[in-house]
Amino acid sequence: MNRTLLVGLLTALTLGATLAWQHATAPRIAQAQAQLQARTWLSVLPTSRYDNQPLQQPLALPQPALEHSRLLAAYRATLQGRTSAVVLHSQTQGYEGPIQLLIAIDRAGRVMATKVLEQHETPGLGDKIAAPDSPWLGAFTGLSQGNTPAQAWGLKRDNGQFDQLAGASVTSRAVIHAVQDALRYFDSQAPQWLAGEPDE
Amino acid sequence: MNKPTLAALSLAPLLGASQTLVQAASIASLTLVLVILHRACMTPLRARLTGIAGECASLLIAAALVTCANLALLAWALPLHQTLGIYPELIAVQCLLFEYSLGRTAGWRPALTVLVGFAALHIALGACRELLASGVRLAGLMPGALLLLGLVLALINLARNRRAASRREGNP
Repeated sequence: MNRTLLVGLLTALTLGATLAWQHATAPRIAQAQAQLQARTWLSVLPTSRYDNQPLQQPLALPQPALEHSRLLAAYRATLQGRTSAVVLHSQTQGYEGPIQLLIAIDRAGRVMATKVLEQHETPGLGDKIAAPDSPWLGAFTGLSQGNTPAQAWGLKRDNGQFDQLAGASVTSRAVIHAVQDALRYFDSQAPQWLAGEPDE
Repeated sequence: MNKPTLAALSLAPLLGASQTLVQAASIASLTLVLVILHRACMTPLRARLTGIAGECASLLIAAALVTCANLALLAWALPLHQTLGIYPELIAVQCLLFEYSLGRTAGWRPALTVLVGFAALHIALGACRELLASGVRLAGLMPGALLLLGLVLALINLARNRRAASRREGNP
């Protein structure tokens, strides 16, 4: 009897303490998560290129299912009230699972930066796309539909212009096509997104 | 439960959470703190709760401690928490294991020796893996971790045998 009482008391005590602690830390956790998300997501944009809070300014995405990928979200970065870039959050199918990418595109439809948010590719091979400042992802910077013909968006062995990550052709193809999809989508939506803003 | 089982079950965090020195050091120190706290909470209860009641109490305390530690990590060290994966949660298993295998031993000394030794081994493994991973890709992966662990343990054994031998020679 005494034992049951003691275990019951202990249950109430541990449960109560855990719940109280959860309640106490909840606001701090939410704040930390928002900060971390903003920091990772906005790392694709140089801080000199925007003065708003892009994550607070999502853009409407009509028909987000693209040829090789799917857009999950888009955010507008503005500088002095004028759109300076759009950040597209895209998901594509890699070799082992979905790959989530952030692609920042400037007003002229050029890639500013690309970043992998989430991937499940083979350790040591395909997961190199997620390395910080991956030189392979850097190859997309500055490219647009205007300066790169449609057939060049592929691996060199498929008559495209991109190297592949060693041992990870499926991963490499998936990312190349997702970036191309994003650029195509930007060009199709740019008239609406940039409407009413004077060109440079 | 005997010591070999304890060692076998402790392999998961040792191999899984030792890719970098930071990862190894944080998991090792968290384990150290939580297991000590768990043992401190269990000490007054052990005499009163025997058998299944004692195990229930041990489980409850481990779950509460680990949950609270996790929430604290989420609130104040979110980037660190993300590099640690599931291993902070797994510390609950370590708490139960230590209680099960060393709970009955009187006094803190033997338990602390095991704990501190385990933490030191974990940190040493993390340091080795981080140092080697830039040159040897295997060191960053799980099989490499197991090989390295074997190597580190062999070195420790060698050093201990040497010391024991020299002591024998010194005091015939």
